[in-house]
Amino acid sequence: AHYENEAPVKAKRSKADHAGEEVVYHPVKLSRNDLYRPPTAEELNQLKEAESLFHCSLLKMQMEELLKEVALSERRKRQIDSFIQTVTKLIQTVPDSPEVEVSDLSWLSGAVKVPFLLVPKTTKGKFHMAPPSSIDLIGSYPLGTCTKPNVMVDLAVTIPNDVLHPKDVLNQRYPRKRALYLAGLAQHLASSSDIGTMQYSCLHGNRLRPVLLLTPPGKDSSSFTLRVHACPAPGFFKPSRFHPQRNNIRTEWYTGLQTSQSGKISSEPPTPHYNSSVLGDLLPRAHLQFLSAVSSQCSAFTDGVALLKVWLRQRELDQGTGCFNGFLASMLLAYLLITHRISNSMTAYQLLRNALNFLASTDLTVNGISLAKDPDSTAVKFHDAFQVVFVDPSGHLNMCADITACTYKQLQHEASLSMQFWDNPTVDGFQCLLMTPKPMIRTSDHVFQLCELVKLQSSCKKLNLLSELMDHSGDYIHTALPFILSLLQQGLSQRIHLLTHSLSPDPKWSVESEAPKHKAQPPLSFGLLLRAELSSTVLDRGPPADSPKAAEFRQLWGPRSELRRFQDGDITEAVLWHGESICQKRLVPKQIITHLLQLHADIPESCVRYVGAMVDDVIKTGSEESLVVVQSYDDLSRKLWRLEGLPLTITAVQGAHPALRYTQVFPPRPLKLEYSFFDREKTSRSLVPKEGKPCPVYITPITVICHMEGSGKWPHDRLAIQHIRAAFHIQLGELLRKHHNYTCRPCPTHLDVWKDGLVFRIQVAYHREPQVLRESLTAEGLLVVRDNDEAQALEMATIHKPLLTSTLHGLQQQHPCFGAACRLVKRWLSAQLFSDDITEDTADLLVASLFLQPAPFTAPSSPQVAFLRFLHLLSSFDWRNNPLIVNLNNQLTAVDYTEIKNGFMATRESLPVMFIATPKDKKLSMWTKRSPSIQMLQRVIMVAAESLKVLEHQLIDGSQKQDVRVILRPPLEAYDVVIHLNPKQVPLLDQAVDPPAITFSRGVMSGSAAQPGGPLPVIDYNPVSLYLGELREAFGDLALFFCDPCGGTVITVLWKPKAFIPTPFKTSQVSARSVEVTGDETKTVPNVEAILEDFRIMGKGLVKSVEARTEKWSF
Amino acid sequence: MAPSKKKHAKNQACVIPGGFTVLSLQFSSDSAARHSLYVKEHRVRAERSSHRPLDRTLFVLNIPPYCSEDVVKDLFSQFGSVQSVELRDHPGSSQESGPKLSKFFKPAEKQGFKVGYVVFQISSSLPAVKSHPHDVPLVVCTEHRPVKTGLQKWIQQYTNSFIQPEQLQQKVDSFMEDYDKRKEEEAERQKKEAEEEQEDEEGWVKVTRGHKGTKARPHSEAANQRTLQREITKKKRKELLNFYTWQHRNTQKEHIAELRKKFEEDKQRIALLRAQRKFRPY
Repeated sequence: AHYENEAPVKAKRSKADHAGEEVVYHPVKLSRNDLYRPPTAEELNQLKEAESLFHCSLLKMQMEELLKEVALSERRKRQIDSFIQTVTKLIQTVPDSPEVEVSDLSWLSGAVKVPFLLVPKTTKGKFHMAPPSSIDLIGSYPLGTCTKPNVMVDLAVTIPNDVLHPKDVLNQRYPRKRALYLAGLAQHLASSSDIGTMQYSCLHGNRLRPVLLLTPPGKDSSSFTLRVHACPAPGFFKPSRFHPQRNNIRTEWYTGLQTSQSGKISSEPPTPHYNSSVLGDLLPRAHLQFLSAVSSQCSAFTDGVALLKVWLRQRELDQGTGCFNGFLASMLLAYLLITHRISNSMTAYQLLRNALNFLASTDLTVNGISLAKDPDSTAVKFHDAFQVVFVDPSGHLNMCADITACTYKQLQHEASLSMQFWDNPTVDGFQCLLMTPKPMIRTSDHVFQLCELVKLQSSCKKLNLLSELMDHSGDYIHTALPFILSLLQQGLSQRIHLLTHSLSPDPKWSVESEAPKHKAQPPLSFGLLLRAELSSTVLDRGPPADSPKAAEFRQLWGPRSELRRFQDGDITEAVLWHGESICQKRLVPKQIITHLLQLHADIPESCVRYVGAMVDDVIKTGSEESLVVVQSYDDLSRKLWRLEGLPLTITAVQGAHPALRYTQVFPPRPLKLEYSFFDREKTSRSLVPKEGKPCPVYITPITVICHMEGSGKWPHDRLAIQHIRAAFHIQLGELLRKHHNYTCRPCPTHLDVWKDGLVFRIQVAYHREPQVLRESLTAEGLLVVRDNDEAQALEMATIHKPLLTSTLHGLQQQHPCFGAACRLVKRWLSAQLFSDDITEDTADLLVASLFLQPAPFTAPSSPQVAFLRFLHLLSSFDWRNNPLIVNLNNQLTAVDYTEIKNGFMATRESLPVMFIATPKDKKLSMWTKRSPSIQMLQRVIMVAAESLKVLEHQLIDGSQKQDVRVILRPPLEAYDVVIHLNPKQVPLLDQAVDPPAITFSRGVMSGSAAQPGGPLPVIDYNPVSLYLGELREAFGDLALFFCDPCGGTVITVLWKPKAFIPTPFKTSQVSARSVEVTGDETKTVPNVEAILEDFRIMGKGLVKSVEARTEKWSF
Repeated sequence: MAPSKKKHAKNQACVIPGGFTVLSLQFSSDSAARHSLYVKEHRVRAERSSHRPLDRTLFVLNIPPYCSEDVVKDLFSQFGSVQSVELRDHPGSSQESGPKLSKFFKPAEKQGFKVGYVVFQISSSLPAVKSHPHDVPLVVCTEHRPVKTGLQKWIQQYTNSFIQPEQLQQKVDSFMEDYDKRKEEEAERQKKEAEEEQEDEEGWVKVTRGHKGTKARPHSEAANQRTLQREITKKKRKELLNFYTWQHRNTQKEHIAELRKKFEEDKQRIALLRAQRKFRPY
């Protein structure tokens, strides 16, 4: 018993100790005594249970903890209750006022405005203020399903019957009276000091249903909001008047025009949305009763609703106009309980699962469901009037009246995705279902916004939507929205999986100001989930010209549709979009959208803000160039295979360079050189850089590994292997020159081949060489095998890199935007000066993980969304406590996952800070072994989070100054020394983030690539990297050096604080240090002045100036 | 500059505790800042190396990366003619083993600060160095001895990096010839030893200790490991498990200890998650 009590106390104490700093997992250390003490029977039982139940109960425990986080505390509930009491008392004392015409607002003092858009201006009826006949709690709070954050408590104030008239249903009379009543309440409450802030809003964005938002005074003001609804007494209006086919708004009144058939009700259009908005006010008490009854039957009901609400909220589906809110979630669970799809005894976990399963499999846009007693007769009549149907227990109200078909499809899509993740043992279901937010900008491949919403007014006119506009009481945005959605759906059809749209947030305004106009809301955003293989085709092929469907096709596309003859002889209608490069092709959806909106909805192109590819501009073109490189490589590979006359045969030719997997930021381009620009090296027919000229163009050698057959002829000695390899390089070069006239340059380590204006660097490899490097003889003649850096580096270069290259090449074939995503990511890394810490291979692996394990999203289909998710992954992943598992080729099973995780936990301390496991590397994370260091990782995480914030803001908010390159300009304030380079000598200058104003001639001629032969160009000569290398070798233990390899013109230096602590004189530690003698003691400190001088000397000709930020130095 | 140096009078050598003399060095005559070289006569008890004679060798610390062996040789020639200069990354005895490599196959040198061993022709040069005044700097790059750095150096490096395939082939051939010869000799020797171990006419076998690594049977760590493993399994097979009561009790005890440990670990994992607030969804 002592043992059981002890542990939690310990845990608590350690928690307190770690408050503020990062909490880390330490392997448990129990003393011998603790471990081997004789157990009690009770303890034995507990141990056995824990052993068998731990894994299945983990999810349960996680959900319980989550529920604790969102539930309201007792303290909060007490606050709420007391505030409700105060408000109730205040409202009950609202004074009477004399009866006036509805349009007469003289009884209101000017300080409070009526929360209503008076369109048309007048309506008939009389109004007076009177104390409410009752005040009741409704909604989630009394039901117990109210959750944090945004705690909203609903209070229904019943308007006394004598204020209303049964005929008030007509022509917005009732909604206007309700607004007046609210204004009366607001005026009364305004004088009280017990109310903190007071605002108007409207329920689910419906302007006919204004509400009053009250917050408590003082510091609690943000902890919850009281929402006051004004309602008629239950049953005041006859429900049958609100049948979806009935009309309650007369055209004559609405338009103000006398029509010839005035008085004939039969010809009036039905007003289902208006009807349901009035009906919604009659029923909340009945709904609360119904739900309470259901909830009392099922103990896990409230928890189930809370989980479902969290799930909805993470997907941004629970708020705004046409949302699937908490009320609908409760009703859905009630429906499942009543229809016995779930049983009363199920847990919250099972309720969530069944609800998602139901949503995923049931299409409410076709087969609506009903809670009414005789469902058959009710559900059908609603389908004509509404897109999504879920009828309430009374059988009169469609609770999903405002939901668009697209939103429901999105809900279904999310539900089925969630079910997939839940059933996948390799995915952390809890994390991706309930913990990860899915904002539209990070979920959808392309996003566009409609900016000037006022233009939708003309769309309504163009689409001929007068009766719908009447039904929506003049809300032209939500009148036009469903039509625009269906138009886009039709136009994009095969190109997209899903079309989603943002839900307009509920407007809020102060009681002293007029209700905001419809156009005042933020822009509407639309999200596209693209079908990778079809989204960028430039041709939309329609039906044959003579088929009856042709007319429909022509109607949809208008003048863009034309008759075309195809190779197979068919003559069909077709639309051809612009798009030469891959980059342009990605934007075909944009062309379609702007064309359709202009043609059918009268929305000019200027109103459409397309943010699908705003960031792509940074990497320009390049996908095509990668293709050229790969083709040239394939050709070389074939030629190598066919070579004859080698003493050993070639067993494999493998690419080992990012350009060969489409992920090189700026892939090499075939070049034609201007020979006069260079000096010549006579003996070897080679070009060399000329002094005094700008640095020549940088030519990247593209690494190709060429494996030779294993044979007894290979020596078993490291030096001998090196020499044999050199001989192979010479011989390969000789053969390539003889047969194909390529200029070659053999070296002991590689062979450079100048081919098609590109340089390939062939390295001959022998598969047993790493083994030979590992073997050594001890003094006693014992053969020992010891792993060493040399062998690892060789294995990395000749085995792992080629394998990674071919695997990722395969991934590119499955996901066409993988390469572009990697390039974008690496451009960001290099611009932020991180490319030495997060290496190219690591970055490619991280991006690959986004494609292989996209949960909770789907695999990205645009580079931009992949980039956003990369930034999110970097900044939010718990690198300390979790391994990132990249399941290349899907080789890992659930068992492997557990094995990797356990291995990781057991040896965390000795593993790299950023741990990436792949099928071929489960235990060591070889790609991240050297870098990043913990400090650099922290900085990367910080910068990634900041970049993500800035970028998302830029993309979402069109009103900001548009410059996505902000995230590519690193702050230089943090560094101690900044070395400015002479742009003339930076060969990759034109890759810089901000292209320079002046360009330098670098010895390149325009035109197609050179013919085979000719002198060897200057290969791999980059003064910047040579300089960096020298700096790091000389001063690596005193400072860190950073540079953007893609055209950066500064090198930034950060002193290592440790190196600046005075240390005693030691012969092994005096590099670049000066001595200070005090008495007998000799201490050394870095000789900073001489070091700065060395920066200039070593970079003579390259360095423009060395800027020392001495004011920052603290030693 | 470091204030400590001001204490010394002009035109005097600066000797710091530890016996090192400080010499200042600047890149060119108009350089503003100076590095300090720390020099001392080379004195190591264990070393009896012929190319670092104790009385004539100067040990130099902190030689900047732009000073090549030639430059250092030139710099110290003002104190007496220099026989040889050896630059190294770290102080330590010289060790060169294996066959002599051509320059093409030598691993790339590190370009950092170096330590040097300067061997003078005559031993009287050492005191001359040690009495050199610290405020008269050695100058690396002068008019008659230009030292290339930066762009000039890299261009030169690039130009010098070309290797004639014929030369390379020649080097490879000569190395391999040498290698084959060594292998042959090795094989010859082994053969001879094997012959010696044969019975002679009278049935005697001559047993020798043999040279390094010439044991007849496979002699490697892996083989040793395998043999050991075989022994252990053989032993295990004979052993009785859970036969005696104490053995049985021990097994149970171990099992419970294991359970306890796992239980504790799980608990800690959950506590950790809770402490990190990993359950707050937004």
